[in-house]
Amino acid sequence: MSLNVKNKRALTALTSAALAIPGMSASVQAASVLTETVVQYKASAYREADLDSSKLSGGSLERYEIDTQQVRAQLPLGENTDASIEFMYETMSGASPWFILPGQDGPVQVMSGATIHEERKDLQAKINHLLNDKTVISFIGGVSDEKDYFAVNAGLEALYEIPDTQLTLTAGIGYSDDELEPTDGSILPDRIVRATRDSTTAFVGLSQILSKTTVVQASLSYSLQRGFLSDPYKKVWIDDQANTINDSRPDDRNQFVAQLRLRHFLPELKAAVHLDYRYFEDDWEVASSTMEAAWYQNLPGGWVFTPSLRYYSQTQAFFYAPYFFSARGDGFGSADYRLSPYGAISVKLRLEKRWQSLDLHAEWESYEASADYSLDSVDLENPGLVEFDILSVGLNWRL
Amino acid sequence: MRVLFLLLCLSALAGCAVEPVEAWERDYLARPEMAWDPDALGSAYRNNVHFSKEASNGGASVGGGGCGCN
Repeated sequence: MSLNVKNKRALTALTSAALAIPGMSASVQAASVLTETVVQYKASAYREADLDSSKLSGGSLERYEIDTQQVRAQLPLGENTDASIEFMYETMSGASPWFILPGQDGPVQVMSGATIHEERKDLQAKINHLLNDKTVISFIGGVSDEKDYFAVNAGLEALYEIPDTQLTLTAGIGYSDDELEPTDGSILPDRIVRATRDSTTAFVGLSQILSKTTVVQASLSYSLQRGFLSDPYKKVWIDDQANTINDSRPDDRNQFVAQLRLRHFLPELKAAVHLDYRYFEDDWEVASSTMEAAWYQNLPGGWVFTPSLRYYSQTQAFFYAPYFFSARGDGFGSADYRLSPYGAISVKLRLEKRWQSLDLHAEWESYEASADYSLDSVDLENPGLVEFDILSVGLNWRL
Repeated sequence: MRVLFLLLCLSALAGCAVEPVEAWERDYLARPEMAWDPDALGSAYRNNVHFSKEASNGGASVGGGGCGCN
């Protein structure tokens, strides 16, 4: 082998390593695999725990089950461009929370009577293009289809490695146009037949390499949702009317997110530490904090064991209550557990085996939401809060 | 609150001591487990689950399309 060829290979390896660093975000990690095709597959089983019978007033105890399959292929398109395409297929069945009644020992949940059967198909594509050795531009497009929901999304992201620094700037803007056609909308007189909503998101992020083993990222994101943002399948109990009204939410929502992420490698332990914090707030008066920590432990024989912990806590939307004694003056009202005050803890364990061109992994996650886990005190816990487990298996195949 | 958090983020970055790292010294940073999201499919899946079950979502990406998830 000539010295020239050897040098060229060494330079390619170094460039790949440099481009693959997290400070340059996922886009440039994709650029680092321009020379190889990667195929990924993942199958996941999501199971919600049955509702506690003491919290049920009517309907089914059984909640959602979702089986998901995902396939992703990432391939080079010439010297400076690569593309990824991702397909997700889900089948869902079970009952979901409908409305809440006042009970003797607190609020009690009425679940949807009929078991829902639904499927969702989601296709996302992304093209990354290296404009020069410092700049990557990415084009994103996708479509999601369900029997009662259809969404089309598009986005643009850019990444710029600031010369003579260890800083990388990322920014992006995205748009989603969604259409709802609720099941039985044309039969039930109080359910909408058709509605639309859209969402516009913009973000900016800055990554800083601090040392040979540490990188941090701070990002800010803003999102505006407009249109029909209520849940057409949920209702709210109004006590003085002894009846329910439809879930009703404002027709716009401004969301703000700030996120900090840290990655640190411990060479002596061959382990990587991930620490993430996200703060969220919106003009529905929901504010939340999410903290995640993960430990990626490399073990002999190409095994990697990763335990991780996630903590989440949110405040309630201003128009939320489990039920109302009389209707609100502004006409808004929701008893959706997702807009209630609560906290959630989830634990995830992942085991991965790496070979030269193939990785296999299995992971299990257990999630529990409760008013007891909230950072703030909660007067009335929503009886519909979820507990679920997820079991996943997957592979990465580098062709 | 948001201004306070923004200041906290910026001061956290500004307050960090930065050690010069050449391109050939980035082998630890280039390891797959050091990526922001080492498992792209897993991240997409978990984002979808949390989007469906919590009031918050979003981060350092433009995200995908919506869903009628219950």
